Amino acid sequence: MIELENIVKNFNSDKNNKAIHAVNDVSLTINDGEIYGIIGFSGAGKSTLVRCINLLERPDSGHVRIDGVEMTELKPHDLYKARTKIGMIFQQFNLMPSRTVFQNVAYPLKGMTRDEVRKRVQSLLKLVEISDKENAYPSELSGGQKQRVAIARALANDPKILLCDEATSALDPQTTGSILQLLKDLNKMLGLTIVVITHEMEVVKNICRKAAVMDAGRIIESGDVFTIFSNPQHEVTKNFVRTTSNLSKIEALIRDDSPMVKLKPGELMARLVYVHADVSEPLISYASRAFDIEINIILADVEIVAGSMVGGTVVIFNGEREKINRAIDYYKSKNIRVEVIQDAGA
Amino acid sequence: MQELNNLLPNLMRRLPEFWKACGDTLLMEVWAGSICYVLGLIFGIILTVTKPGGIMENRPVYQVLDKIINLFRSIPFIILLTALMPAIYVRGVIVPLVFGATPFFSRQIESALAQTDKGLIEAALSMGSSPFEVIFRVYLRESLAPIIRAITITAISLLGLTAMAGAVGAGGLGDFAIRYGHDRNMIDITWVTVIVLVLGVSLVQWLGEFFARKNTH
Repeated sequence: MIELENIVKNFNSDKNNKAIHAVNDVSLTINDGEIYGIIGFSGAGKSTLVRCINLLERPDSGHVRIDGVEMTELKPHDLYKARTKIGMIFQQFNLMPSRTVFQNVAYPLKGMTRDEVRKRVQSLLKLVEISDKENAYPSELSGGQKQRVAIARALANDPKILLCDEATSALDPQTTGSILQLLKDLNKMLGLTIVVITHEMEVVKNICRKAAVMDAGRIIESGDVFTIFSNPQHEVTKNFVRTTSNLSKIEALIRDDSPMVKLKPGELMARLVYVHADVSEPLISYASRAFDIEINIILADVEIVAGSMVGGTVVIFNGEREKINRAIDYYKSKNIRVEVIQDAGA
Repeated sequence: MQELNNLLPNLMRRLPEFWKACGDTLLMEVWAGSICYVLGLIFGIILTVTKPGGIMENRPVYQVLDKIINLFRSIPFIILLTALMPAIYVRGVIVPLVFGATPFFSRQIESALAQTDKGLIEAALSMGSSPFEVIFRVYLRESLAPIIRAITITAISLLGLTAMAGAVGAGGLGDFAIRYGHDRNMIDITWVTVIVLVLGVSLVQWLGEFFARKNTH
């Protein structure tokens, strides 16, 4: 278990001697075997926060406990030892260019015979499915292959925790998918606790069950991924949801005066957002029949987040105003958020 | 042989002295070079790890070493030579040569190590490496090519310094060229000295480039 308690980390800016709060009083608990996402725009302090876990950055105040051990009080030598049990991978992979894949993975192995090292490295390379590149140099590998080698290296000493600092941000979407899948598999196979730092909503949606949203050094929302992203409270979180949702395109369509969104008198355009985990009823066709109105779907975007559906549709209601209002009340009773975008009047 | 005698009359008459001068230059180069490389490597590493943001950040150590190196780098070599030469001849000139070349080499090492990707240092620390391990297994190993280039450049500039040391009677090729080539206007001696130095520089440069390339992947 990783427990961060009231972590504060300041950096001195050279310009006006003012301290910058990189991390400002953050507390966080990550349970064993979890894949925990920390999402934030760049400069939010998430990279600094994750470095406080293995003390690459020493917090100015606060506690870092891993399985009950207070990391900030360890003697240097014990800290080095503790770090071997916390793997870390990076956006730029950070493989040593003068060493082969084999030598890179062997780097953290100590106190082993030549034969043991060989066996260990080979089994690690097999685990990340890159055995054929054993004697290649990093410069001969693609980004995805480099990250696989980096993962093998990070796992060399059987860590219980893997920290991923923007590990997929330098990769194309397809490779990102395969690396995320690998992380998911490792989490299942080895019971590895994984902390994922990212600015990409996709990554969190794909592999995390729990997440925290960071902004200006603070955690502004945290909890299970579905709750956070189906019903974002904070403006920053809403922004993240919007970056991946199609539904925000409607504003652009309206701005461009697209004929698609021209309302006829009596029509009403609204966004229906699913905030609950069970969207199994045929809500559109039911309401259309029950209240005798037409519901025209302009945009729809439903995604699977942490195993549940999240998203919604943009629709135009057409019919008597009284009936439209009853349909809207019906949706609200079903835990669907209704935001009126445009109203052509009754 | 006869042709050589005609072409280089002055040199051929002083051949034993010429060989000795070559040997002296080599001796100065090797001795001063070895000491300078060991000291410069240590100073370069200390500068790198103690500078602000370094893995063993230590402001006083960095500031003192930084200033001392700057001080010796700004003293003209000819002044170092006269001030620090305890005895004439080859052995005596080693001291000013070391003082003249070590600050230069320290800076070269500092800038070679500075090329090491910060991410590699961070990765090594995250894997539990101690600062000393980071120095030997990451800094020195990963910047081997730029370090070899620094050694090359320093060897060549040291060769220039040994020639200058000749001017104050330290012996070697510089001394040989000045005494005969310049003072007595024996053009053939000047030419041969220059050619030998050019060959020496080229050989060092070629070797350096060869090994640097061998260590680049």
